[in-house]
Amino acid sequence: MKEKVKEVKMKRRWGMAIDLDKCTGCGKCSVACNQENNMPIFEDDSDVPKRVAFLELMKVTNDRDAKFPDVKTAYLPKMCQMCEGNDPKNPNPPCVSVCPAVATDVGDDGVVSQIWSRCIGCRYCQTACPYEARVFNWWKPEYEGSFKKSLSTDVSVASRGTVVKCTFCSHIWKRERDAATAKGILDINAVLYTPACAGTCPTGAIVFGDLNDHDSEVYKLTQTDRAVRLTNPVDDVKDADKKKSLLKAKQFTNPKVYYLTSQQWLRDMMRFKKNS
Amino acid sequence: MKKIERKDFLKLGGGAVLGGLSGWVFSGAPFLGFQWLAEWTQDQYVPVKGFEKYAQAVSDSCPAGCKVSVRMIGDRAVKIESKDGVCPACHNALQLTYHPERISTPLKRKGDKGDGKFVPVTWEEAVKEISSKMNSLITEGKANSIAAINKNESLNGQLMEKFIKAAGSNNVYYEPSLKSLTSSALGGYINYDFANTDYVLSFGAKLVEGWDSSADMQKVFTQWKTKGTKIVQADTVCSMTASLASEWVPVKPGTEAVLAFGIANYLITGRRLNSTGEEFGKWSQLIINKFPLAKVASYTGVSEERIKKIGDDFSKAKNPVAVSGKGACGVNASSAEIIAVYCLNTLVKSKAATLMTNSSVTYKGEFAGLDSFIKDGKFSMLFLNNSDPVYKSVLGEDLKKKMEKAFVVSINPIMNDSANYADIILPSLSFLESETPENKAVVSNFKESKDAKDIIIALSKSLDKTKDTFSFASGIDSFKVAGKETASGAKFSFNVDKIKNDIDALDKKFAANAEYPLFMIPVEAPLVGDGDGLAFPYVLKSIDPTVFYKGKLLVQINRETGKKYGLSENESIVIRSARGKLDKVYVHLTDTVAPDTVAMPLGFGHESYTKYGSDKGVNPKKIMAADVDPLTGTADWWSTRVKIS
Repeated sequence: MKEKVKEVKMKRRWGMAIDLDKCTGCGKCSVACNQENNMPIFEDDSDVPKRVAFLELMKVTNDRDAKFPDVKTAYLPKMCQMCEGNDPKNPNPPCVSVCPAVATDVGDDGVVSQIWSRCIGCRYCQTACPYEARVFNWWKPEYEGSFKKSLSTDVSVASRGTVVKCTFCSHIWKRERDAATAKGILDINAVLYTPACAGTCPTGAIVFGDLNDHDSEVYKLTQTDRAVRLTNPVDDVKDADKKKSLLKAKQFTNPKVYYLTSQQWLRDMMRFKKNS
Repeated sequence: MKKIERKDFLKLGGGAVLGGLSGWVFSGAPFLGFQWLAEWTQDQYVPVKGFEKYAQAVSDSCPAGCKVSVRMIGDRAVKIESKDGVCPACHNALQLTYHPERISTPLKRKGDKGDGKFVPVTWEEAVKEISSKMNSLITEGKANSIAAINKNESLNGQLMEKFIKAAGSNNVYYEPSLKSLTSSALGGYINYDFANTDYVLSFGAKLVEGWDSSADMQKVFTQWKTKGTKIVQADTVCSMTASLASEWVPVKPGTEAVLAFGIANYLITGRRLNSTGEEFGKWSQLIINKFPLAKVASYTGVSEERIKKIGDDFSKAKNPVAVSGKGACGVNASSAEIIAVYCLNTLVKSKAATLMTNSSVTYKGEFAGLDSFIKDGKFSMLFLNNSDPVYKSVLGEDLKKKMEKAFVVSINPIMNDSANYADIILPSLSFLESETPENKAVVSNFKESKDAKDIIIALSKSLDKTKDTFSFASGIDSFKVAGKETASGAKFSFNVDKIKNDIDALDKKFAANAEYPLFMIPVEAPLVGDGDGLAFPYVLKSIDPTVFYKGKLLVQINRETGKKYGLSENESIVIRSARGKLDKVYVHLTDTVAPDTVAMPLGFGHESYTKYGSDKGVNPKKIMAADVDPLTGTADWWSTRVKIS
């Protein structure tokens, strides 16, 4: 029996593709994420430095480089980019190696996890994260009065002094797996799931799925020319051999969150390039 | 007396220490200390566990009737999900339902109006007080001084309209919306067949940012993207709609109507197209004479060639449609503008715009619309059905003064700026708590609050004159009498006599003005909309720091204009219009805004909209233009002449 369990290999490598040409900036992903992940409610959540949220609805424009009316605006939903390092088989995100408490780790499904209650609050991971995707609970997460009633039991409430982050709603996967187990399906790879942000996106701009499954929509989207990742310079190298040698010599984040856009200014901005 | 030996002394001392220690241990103090320590280090709240299930709900408080699926843990609703899309208000219903500042019982005013001091009363007392007041007005023959302001055309709004009309008053108004504005200007609101259009010409309508039924528009936008529908957006700021459109036509602030005149002029004179609307000849003469293309180009900043190009593209498309109603959640357009844009549809014989009416909703009362009622109307009794005209109307301050002299009843689940001036507040529900024919209520009523439909029916039953208005006793039965939407059949008229003055006034509006050289126009932040979202913490969480940052409301000003006035980023400025001034506004310099324009975020500056929504930023409606349109009865607040210092 034990051997049989060992044989079951994780097939999944969860990833996301966000089509910025389809994103209208409605903010539904943000609300759904907050509801799903029990985001703390402070007296004034418009206070940005104090704000705790997994998904940031970033408003971006090219107004520094272009003049009215040649400007453009876009919203960029930014969550944990789920870095895997150079080798997907041996993932190595920048935040994981610095954690002294093993509070953050990367699973065999590629999801960079975080266990709030294990975190000692040193914030090394927050410093190491190139995407500012991690937030620190400087204050005790509060839920005033009856707001507590809207809390989900699937995500634990963090205490003060811990780092929290987006986990691709991996508790939903667990929930779906539990439901499958109840039906007698024991194969971990038999279940797919949708995180809160992707599930609520009204224009279908956020697509979530398995990057190892080459028939999945998300994989196909990441292979198009429109795909671009936040500040990942290895994507600019078109020569396959050079890319390979670079991947051996240098450390890259290799995020599993892809953005899709055909707007050049947006692509440039995501790579810190000046608009030419 | 025996002398105490040293040994005994030590024994006694040791015993006292031991006794003290054991007493301390058994008192529980150290364990309490451990508990404090544990709480201090691991101070999580643990959500109450329960069985998971999904409950279905249909919103009866939003006109779109959002269908949602609610994830439940035991009897608690924890997440709102939807396959069909959901509007921001319905998505936030979770935080409305569990808002710590929900009104729990009927309230009666204690102090002066506006003080916000209320005492709880029973439902019987509240209804009795309202009905006796109404009765005395009816018997005195002053029934027409009873008025009501509805938030929207949802079922409880329709019931309110029936109730007030049965009491003998004609004064039922709705907060201005796309439907109310177009209904008043055209004789019916427009049902757009967006799915089958191939060319959309939008005059400042921020189609994907909350305009009309926001959930439907998101779906429509996806269809447009897959089909390659051409979207042309005339806009003063680089809004999301402008940025996602196939073509953005940057216009000077508030000149969307003039652009519509220009395109109409070109289609009539250049392409020999005709409209079937009444008084078309008169209107076209007026437009052709008053708005030659050269003048339109100078007013709007759009070149003559481009106007002609848009006209050509529009008329040559297979199924084009022109869309009016500037704004996202807060829509504003003059009747002259709505008529001109609709005229474009009739010129090209668009099949995608049909005029509709709702059998239970008339947007006109004794006055043409809400703002003309606030300005010129008199009332001794006012019902506010979930509406917040004090905050949302540019004439809110005038309404406050009139409300101070009248008996005001407000029906709403949480406090707002208008309810603060009420004599009686009746607590209503979030849609998760109300029952519909298809679904049971998802969660039980909050304390003593009641369904707005039930409240209105109970009020009508308490009066002799209105007791037969409704043939049913419960709100659940009222779904049978919901208004039906039908094609209006009314013949579209240009109403030239009524809108002529407004068209003539445009010259003055766009003439150079040394005192007020800039234009202020509104913009909206996602989820905040025109203010409804601000009471909900998860909306506050989404606000971009370029809109509101650490208590500072930022207005967007073009870099060149900023340079001209010597402004720097985050600098505090004062904005003045002919109606007043706004301080505590800060500058965000960005080229996404046209020159000489102040783009002002709507939705901030509530006075009493729970502790989350109050005292954040300023409400620009206070200084916005307040010229009331003769047909829609709504102020044209879109562009206001201002100066900054």
